[in-house]
Amino acid sequence: MAQRALWLISHEPGTPLRGTVRFSRRYPTVEKRARVFNRASYVPIPEDGPFLKALLFELRLLDDDKDFVESRDSCSRINKTSIYGLLVGGEELWPVVAFLKNDMIYACVPLVEQTLSPRPPLISVSGVSQGFELLYGIQDFLYSGQKNDNELNTKLSQLPDLLLQACPFGTVLDANLQNSLDNTNFASVTQPQKQPAWKPGTYKGKPQVSISITEKVKSMQYDKQGVADTWQVVGTVTCKCDLEGSMPNVTISLSLPTNGSPLQDILVHPCVTSLDSAILTSSSIDAMDDSAFSGPYKFPFTPPLESFNLCYYTSQVPVPPILGFYQMKEEEVQLRITINLKLHESVKNNFEFCEAHIPFFNRGPITHLEYKTSFGQLEVFREKSLLIWIIGQKFPKSMEISLSGTVTFGAKSHEKQPFDPICVGETAYLKKKVLHIAEVVVENFTVEVKFKPNSEA
Amino acid sequence: MGPLSRDVWAQRLGAFRASPSAFMAGPEAEDLGRDLLGDLRSEKLSEQTKVSLLALSLEYPAQLWPDASAAEVAATSLLDTLVLLPPRPSALRRPLLLAATTALAVGGALGPTSGASCRLLPLLLGLAAGSDLGRGFVPASEQRPLQATACECLRELESCKPGLLGGSLGLLRGLLGQEGPVQPLSLLLSLALRNTLVLQSRAGAGLGALLTARVSPTGGGPWDWTLVEEGDGRLQPQAPSWPVAEEGEGEPSLTAREHSPEEARELRAAVAQLLDTSYLLTPVAQAQLLWLLGWALRGLQGQPPALFKPQLVRLLGTAQLTLLHAVLALKAAFGEALFTAQDETLLLRRLTLAAQHPALPLSTHLFYLHCLLSFPENCPLGPEGEEAAPLLLRPQLCRGLLPSLLHEPMALLARLHLLCLLCAEDEEEEEKSQLPSPGHYLEELLAGLWQRAALEGGPRALATLCFQASYLVARCLAGQPTVLTPLIHGLAQLYRARPMLAPHFVDLLDHVDPELREPLKVVLRQEVVSRPGRDEALCWHLQMLARVADGDAQSATLNFLRAVAAHCTSWDLQQGLLQVCRALLRAGVGGGLVDLLQVLARQLEDPDGCDHARLYYILLAHLAGPKLGVALGPSLAAPALASSLVAENQGFVAALMVQEAPALIRLSVGSHEVKGPLPVLQLLPEALEPIYSLELRFRVEGQLYAPLGAVHVPYLCPGRPARPLLLPLQPRCPAPTRLDVHALYTTSTGLTCHVHLPPLFVNFADLFLPFPKPPEGAGLGFFEELWDSCLPEGAESRVWCPLGPQGLEGLVSRHLEPFVVVAQPPTSYYVAIHLPPDSKLLLRLEAALAEGVPVALRTDDWAVLPLVGDYLRGLAAAV
Repeated sequence: MAQRALWLISHEPGTPLRGTVRFSRRYPTVEKRARVFNRASYVPIPEDGPFLKALLFELRLLDDDKDFVESRDSCSRINKTSIYGLLVGGEELWPVVAFLKNDMIYACVPLVEQTLSPRPPLISVSGVSQGFELLYGIQDFLYSGQKNDNELNTKLSQLPDLLLQACPFGTVLDANLQNSLDNTNFASVTQPQKQPAWKPGTYKGKPQVSISITEKVKSMQYDKQGVADTWQVVGTVTCKCDLEGSMPNVTISLSLPTNGSPLQDILVHPCVTSLDSAILTSSSIDAMDDSAFSGPYKFPFTPPLESFNLCYYTSQVPVPPILGFYQMKEEEVQLRITINLKLHESVKNNFEFCEAHIPFFNRGPITHLEYKTSFGQLEVFREKSLLIWIIGQKFPKSMEISLSGTVTFGAKSHEKQPFDPICVGETAYLKKKVLHIAEVVVENFTVEVKFKPNSEA
Repeated sequence: MGPLSRDVWAQRLGAFRASPSAFMAGPEAEDLGRDLLGDLRSEKLSEQTKVSLLALSLEYPAQLWPDASAAEVAATSLLDTLVLLPPRPSALRRPLLLAATTALAVGGALGPTSGASCRLLPLLLGLAAGSDLGRGFVPASEQRPLQATACECLRELESCKPGLLGGSLGLLRGLLGQEGPVQPLSLLLSLALRNTLVLQSRAGAGLGALLTARVSPTGGGPWDWTLVEEGDGRLQPQAPSWPVAEEGEGEPSLTAREHSPEEARELRAAVAQLLDTSYLLTPVAQAQLLWLLGWALRGLQGQPPALFKPQLVRLLGTAQLTLLHAVLALKAAFGEALFTAQDETLLLRRLTLAAQHPALPLSTHLFYLHCLLSFPENCPLGPEGEEAAPLLLRPQLCRGLLPSLLHEPMALLARLHLLCLLCAEDEEEEEKSQLPSPGHYLEELLAGLWQRAALEGGPRALATLCFQASYLVARCLAGQPTVLTPLIHGLAQLYRARPMLAPHFVDLLDHVDPELREPLKVVLRQEVVSRPGRDEALCWHLQMLARVADGDAQSATLNFLRAVAAHCTSWDLQQGLLQVCRALLRAGVGGGLVDLLQVLARQLEDPDGCDHARLYYILLAHLAGPKLGVALGPSLAAPALASSLVAENQGFVAALMVQEAPALIRLSVGSHEVKGPLPVLQLLPEALEPIYSLELRFRVEGQLYAPLGAVHVPYLCPGRPARPLLLPLQPRCPAPTRLDVHALYTTSTGLTCHVHLPPLFVNFADLFLPFPKPPEGAGLGFFEELWDSCLPEGAESRVWCPLGPQGLEGLVSRHLEPFVVVAQPPTSYYVAIHLPPDSKLLLRLEAALAEGVPVALRTDDWAVLPLVGDYLRGLAAAV
């Protein structure tokens, strides 16, 4: 369940190496065990340079895929997980857990406590999930809060010390690096017994619980007979509990409004102590009927200090908040587009902001544009072949707005313009809701919070 | 040398980290470890710099202190530094402990004879127990972090030397019950407990005593190494992979030793204690605890896994990857004993849900999908270790896991695999449901993939994905014509749309089973040959044709080649064209190819192409089919990386050159038979391996005979008697001789071999020929006439021929029978022998005595007299 090494690599397309190792850490005691366990199939951890090269090749980030390369493009090299075998010095280093997020590649090599040939199934390697969790933890730490390059560098420079706390010997003790940071700060406090390891200290002050619920709606609208539109809501309940005592018990209970759609696919934070079996089984896989569990959804838990995501859920709302119509016609050199948007009457017409993004794929830069809108302004990003229709904070009274116009494109030059394998010719999509409808969501629920101070505190 | 400055160290560490191997090969390598230890005590360096030095030693101890003695010295020095720290808070204590632990564990110095080990272990245990180590060794503010760190160090040492803490179980339990930090102690105790369980099942140490013994951590007694020694220092997997554990390899059975009721109770209490407080651990640590305890208790008698049950309900609801993974590990460890069929269904439901939950990242989805296909079922049906859809995973449940073109490549492939498995089941069950059939869905998806890969200018990744998907489908659904037919059709269309994908097609053909390969080859060949003429994609067509051309549809292929030959103006096109010719040659296509090659040899402008065409033409004209196949086949002589031209040439060298080889045949001379006008040698060949086209060549020493013709044998097989070979001899003078023999043959692998065989001897008697038989009754007159004709030119002699036990009659019938002209058995025989080319030898054997017979002889060639003498004297001995 230990890690042999881990790396953070920034992906830098356009530079000679296409990337830089920003941080790496090796665990020699684990490496020693790997040599014993893996026996003849042991492959040592390479140095940063060769590792970087092999990983970028495997992740197809070297952008030199002009020619067919069997070791990468062969049909039999099927990778179905983010766990790779890297060819380094003629040998294959496996398993390498790696993923790319925000131009940063997170990678580690978990210890496999047996010989590697034949390869054991990944599910039986305990270090794989531990490795993922550690990398997710690092990712959260690096990108939590506002981020700019300076801040990222500061956080990267904190990593060696933090990992000395969170993962001193390659076995992860806490994937939440913020805890490790707080741990050093709380170090002087004498902790009472039974202090949870995920709670570095205790809160002193006015008790207060804040909850926010964020919902994102994903909708596919076909405007076609026989094909049903689809939409799904993905919700996150975020909590911050400032309560005294080392183990305060809190119960949050969510109730649906009348005729509200039930919550499904509920995943909870590990601090939730018990769950109703109806919550466990409520799933979007099942056909919807009246028997579906409709709450109240009770989540008893002992909160950590920091703000955390108490639960995630999905739901199927009866109608999408905005209905859209998007038409595109190719006329010789130019493209004629028509877009109509209609806000549903049940949605409160008041947002933080609302925009519609209109990307054009597989074409050159926008050279010419003529348009007419009934509402809002249009921003043009010529090089990116992108239009952004800024609608503002509310729809007009009619609840309907439209945009029409013609776009002309220049010659397609590679790399700069977006490529999409789906949006060819007159196929395109509209990312029309980058909008915050926080109020709408909160209205939908009744949130009830109960907590009692820990008796031991 | 004084301590280095901060900047010098920063520079040095930077250089080392950039490439440790390059640094260690440089001049500064030797001193690095020593300087580092020395400068840790320097007062000029800041704590920050020292921490960075220690960080280096944590990562690269094997480079700094490569052997056990160096590691021992380093650990001692690190411990000294620790003891010498002033009694105020310092950032160095933790890293020093970690560094000393790392140095000992990695250097292999940890053991009862190591002084540093004997100092470090009690120190760590004392710190872990939170006991007072005196002299303000640990400032109060550091007490707790150091306690945790000491636990971590002990855990790492226990991992590297299982059994190390067997004697401290009781102490650790006690600490966990009191105010000790929960997580480090829980993890340490669970690991020590697990290792003890494994080891004591062999050692027979009393578990109960170990669990309850309350040793004082600072008792000062020597460290107990018994369990470590019992364990042979063999590492114990903390979380064994389940198929291996199944077989018991490297994993001594825990059932080997039964525990007494008290021991079992004590063990249960310890495990319950650990599980009860597990919610205080971070999720990752909880998962570790569950893996450890799960596999520790697995198969242990009297330890029902129900202990884990209260934890499961809490864990199933979570989105945390490690926790769900640990639940799966428990499932694998205990199966039905912990999870009923309903539990299994619920777990599968949660997994399917997590594998597609929009709030989770892609890599988590993919791992859950893998878990689904490798799900540890209660009653698995398929072969172990192969990915399969669990029995309880109904298609209804998988509805959300179907692949779509919008998915990331890896997600698409993972979901496609699941879909294929469902299709395979669907085929078996023929069960009709309301849902669209998985087969239909698959067809649409593949069509979308092909369409996408056909996009002009699309990235190669899309093409690769499309071929990976096709391959996956072909592999999972090989036996289903309803899938394969559209697959072949779709791929052909894709080729038509985008011939530049030819390398992908070739790769696919190389990997799929013949069930798909053969029909796909036919279709692709048709695609290519149906479009002759100038084409931008000609090089791809030629590359494709080189893979798919074979003996079938020769004329169409040749027509295509003839049509495009004129357009092959560049070197690479010509090479492509010749590659196809080569493929045809290998497939044994003759007729039309000869003409084509001749044309190419004349027409191609590039000398290389011209030469190759001519070479292929010559090969085709001169080599038989099988031999051609070998000559053009993949070369065994050339290393795989050599260029194709080198490989081709070396292949020819190996296949077309005659090779000197050890003799695979034996040749012996058979009995002498008199037939025809010339003496004939009867040869008996014998093969040790099957050989073909054997040619035997003979050379006579000293021109005594006319040159001999070669003898040919088409096939020789070991163990099957071959027909004798007849070798007619044409002596120029009647004399025995020695024949030099060479053999040339082809082995079953198509190589031509040459071998020099041991010489054969032609004896004097092998040359004997009879005179034509005289009419009945005229024998005596005929003989007398010959007898008289020998003189005066010839010679006359008398020789004593000894007789063996068979007497004269026996001797004559055995050796001279064909040549007897007049016989008066048993006392008198007249023998007339024709010696080629034109000599005669006449013998009168009369008045035999018991021990011999006097022989009067005449010959017209006096040179043969000594030979005759030797011959006659040797007859009795020759049986």
